[in-house]
Amino acid sequence: MIIHEQEITWAAHKLTLTNQKAIYWEKQKTLILSDLHLGKAAHFRRHGIPIPSQIHHKDLDILEKLILHYQVDKVIIVGDLIHANQNGEVLDFKNFLQRFKEVQFLLIKGNHDRIAERKIMDLGIAGIYDSYELDGLCFVHEPQPCEGKLISGHIHPGVTVRLPTNKHFRLPSFVVSEDMIILPAFSRFTGLDTKQVVQKAVNYAVLDTGIMVIK
Amino acid sequence: MSSWLKDHSRTPFTFQRQSWEKIYNGYSGMVVAPTGFGKTYSVFIGILIDYMNRPQSYKKGLKLIWITPLRSLAKDLARAMQEAIDQIGLDWVVEVRNGDTDIKIKQRQSKQMPDVLLLTPESLHLLIAQKGRDKFFAHLKAIVIDEWHELLSSKRGVMVELATAFLRSQRPQLLIWGITATIGNLDEAMQVLIPYDVKKIKIVAKEKKLIDIISVFPPEIEILPWAGHLGGKLGDQVVPIILDSKSTIVFTNTRSQSEYWYQILLDAYPDFAGQLALHHSSIDINIRNWIEEALSEGRLKAVVSTSSLDLGVDFKPVDTVVQIGSSKGVARFMQRAGRSGHSPYAVSKIYFVPTHSLELIEVSALKEAVKTNLIESREPIVLCYDVLVQFLVTVALGGGFTKEEFYSVIQSTYSFQWMTAEDWDWCISFITVGGKIGRNYEEFHKVVKNEEGLYVVEKRRIAMLHRMNIGVIVSDAMLKVKFLGGGYIGMVEEYFISKLKAGDKFILAGRVLEFIRMKEMTAYVRASQGKAITPSWLGGRLPLSSNLSALLRKKLAESKNPAAREKELRFLHPLVASQVDKSHIPSEDEFLVEKIKTKEGYHLFMYPFEGRLIHEVMSSLMAYRISQLYPISFSMAMNDYGFELFSDTDIELSEDQLKYILRKEDMMKDVTASINAAEMAKRKFRDIAVIGGYVIQNQYGKQQNNRSLQASSGIIFQVLEEHEPNNLLLRQAYTEVFNQQLEEPRLVQAFERINSSTIIYKFTDSFTPLSFPIKVDSLRQSLSSEDLSARIQRMQEQSKRLNRKRR
Repeated sequence: MIIHEQEITWAAHKLTLTNQKAIYWEKQKTLILSDLHLGKAAHFRRHGIPIPSQIHHKDLDILEKLILHYQVDKVIIVGDLIHANQNGEVLDFKNFLQRFKEVQFLLIKGNHDRIAERKIMDLGIAGIYDSYELDGLCFVHEPQPCEGKLISGHIHPGVTVRLPTNKHFRLPSFVVSEDMIILPAFSRFTGLDTKQVVQKAVNYAVLDTGIMVIK
Repeated sequence: MSSWLKDHSRTPFTFQRQSWEKIYNGYSGMVVAPTGFGKTYSVFIGILIDYMNRPQSYKKGLKLIWITPLRSLAKDLARAMQEAIDQIGLDWVVEVRNGDTDIKIKQRQSKQMPDVLLLTPESLHLLIAQKGRDKFFAHLKAIVIDEWHELLSSKRGVMVELATAFLRSQRPQLLIWGITATIGNLDEAMQVLIPYDVKKIKIVAKEKKLIDIISVFPPEIEILPWAGHLGGKLGDQVVPIILDSKSTIVFTNTRSQSEYWYQILLDAYPDFAGQLALHHSSIDINIRNWIEEALSEGRLKAVVSTSSLDLGVDFKPVDTVVQIGSSKGVARFMQRAGRSGHSPYAVSKIYFVPTHSLELIEVSALKEAVKTNLIESREPIVLCYDVLVQFLVTVALGGGFTKEEFYSVIQSTYSFQWMTAEDWDWCISFITVGGKIGRNYEEFHKVVKNEEGLYVVEKRRIAMLHRMNIGVIVSDAMLKVKFLGGGYIGMVEEYFISKLKAGDKFILAGRVLEFIRMKEMTAYVRASQGKAITPSWLGGRLPLSSNLSALLRKKLAESKNPAAREKELRFLHPLVASQVDKSHIPSEDEFLVEKIKTKEGYHLFMYPFEGRLIHEVMSSLMAYRISQLYPISFSMAMNDYGFELFSDTDIELSEDQLKYILRKEDMMKDVTASINAAEMAKRKFRDIAVIGGYVIQNQYGKQQNNRSLQASSGIIFQVLEEHEPNNLLLRQAYTEVFNQQLEEPRLVQAFERINSSTIIYKFTDSFTPLSFPIKVDSLRQSLSSEDLSARIQRMQEQSKRLNRKRR
């Protein structure tokens, strides 16, 4: 895994977008990501749909590498940490957090995070919020018009990139407008919404080999 | 029995007598007869006769299972059967069981089965999934598959094969009978249905359905034809045909074409309002049912439809059929023609309305095909693992199976006769532990082995989810279209709606609708007027059959010197002359390539006449091979007759180079390099994922988290490619790409034919009659319809001017 970066200045803050679908905020030594959907593959398996568990391990691997690479103090998860019920894969995350006791994990509650808050705290999450503010930036799961500068997730944004030969690719992307950033879903086991329209937004599409700016 | 026949003044046809005798003698078999000649009575009466002769061998309970491909067929058929039984004076009860059947009736049936049960392949599988199913089938005597030709080359056919094998494992003496229309591979069709070592016979009716094919000629011939354009002009000629008939079905090939023709006919003859209906699969099922009823009762003058009316109950009042544009195959054409003139010996009348003048060649080809009875084969599908794993869960649900015994049951079917023990192991582990590697599928317990060694389903939620999703018909992501004040109009593909903005107008079910907003998988609209776009539905393009394409080549060659009887070819003479003048008309042993230079750039046209799907593959192969010679990029366009490579830089190609790129050597290797097989397989995987149980199509209840089980097949495809590349369902997607999409055998044949032909290479500076429709089709995709007309006129003018200059 190679981390490719794209620095942007947004709301007077310097933010680093990575092709691993997370933002690094150097000033706060904070990693920002959204829509981890823990336990989704296991939830499917419990309903008789055989999704291999490697996909879940790979998500956690990448998260681990990002934390180590940037040496962060804090991780803000902008919602949809847990896909449905508490299952084996969710409990995996508890072990994962144990290895990063010095890092503070915060969760902005998403529509999927329906299990009891106590259970989420038990995993090792330091705080659960409906919305959260840090250094003038506001974090809410679902994009919505707001007074200040908003960072959100929820819609799993993506863009369609067309090549001259009439082939096209769909890629996850960061949607960045003047007042809002929408994060791509961190989990690899999620779909893409390429239909979202945010006024005057720039898409930063992520690839294994880098970040592509699409205006 | 003979008195019953006398009462109804019926003299049985020979094939009917024959089948009665064979059934009495314990044969299985297949009856081949055209519609309208009492196919049903051949087998059905046969069973009754057998019962009357030895009632002691029939026990109380279900005796006969009758499979029809369509629900709508079942009701009328059951009524006719019950009538016959009552008149003969037997006490048998005939009932229907399918998705439309009331739940109370189903429950009663489960307690006490009728004597005869009419099912669809899906409802038979659901019956097998029922607990206590064994008692349903304890006294089953026979299973009959009606319209077998419709099921044969589909995954529903595989469902029938599997269910029959299962029933046979319960009732080894079971009689199996198929009823089919004529197809090219009848012997194979019987072998697929009855691969067992039992007494079996194929009974072919000598009676033939007479078809009268009448071309509708445009008032004048255009030298440069283009698809779709003729419609408006010919509308005026279709009106009198409808007026002169009692009732007419107007067949089109796509839903958008049907919407378009509905408008044309209404505009041409406004008095049709109220007597003209529109029928296609995106129209609300209740409206469709109403239309079908009205059509049977003779209350409608005409119905514009797509293949949605190809099959189904007989509409007695219909005496005329109109086919708009190519029917793409001989069998489909005959099937559609047969929708008129139902009684035996009545002539089916079908009018052919070309959408561009070149299509008249097809009429000539179809006439010959009908005369010589050259009908397409329907290829059975083999090793269809998605259907198999679904069926295994179905059987597990209704009481279970043992691994060893069931292996031989499955292997006894035609479809799975080549299945290896290793693949069988995979299927079992797929439904029990999720895949080959156990640890990766923790918490997966779809099917478990119980203490008696039976594979069963224990979890209720899995059972419910599976029952709701039995079947192999995968629907597209469709959105409901509703009026703001309620009132459902029909379904449109999500992809079409996603392109609309509020205020845009579109046409559905013959109405102009204004799009307002989208909410929860429903598009809200209000009635509107004025100019509107017609939705294009995906997947509406039918492949051209290889029978028809061979005949097209023959007729095109003959068009240079048409025989006196060939009205269509004679009519086309000016067009043919212009093609000869500008370029060439290929004989049957020639292959024509045209290079045309226009102001826009350089065009290379080739005419294999193999149908759009094959041309898609061929054109990307040609582009790939040319780009191996020197760097160049193309855009491509195609229709059923040929394809175009277009480039703004010169396509330099010597005659030798042309031969080189058309070589048959390394053909499949280069095809694989030129297409994106993974992307195509991913598309094929959509259906496989649903059938195999990866993607849930129907959820039970309205529980809050029912969205939490949705994942697109595309994501799952990627996950499997990365983590379980040997997954059989994944491999099946690639096999389907090569067998169905690329039609490998046909592609190979086409290249062999081209390689043994003389290649004719022509250069011109304006479009030829053959190339023009292809060019227009490519413009259509990038332009709105208004620009299109203007631009085509310009192109036609330009060509004419050049012609004049040359003279």
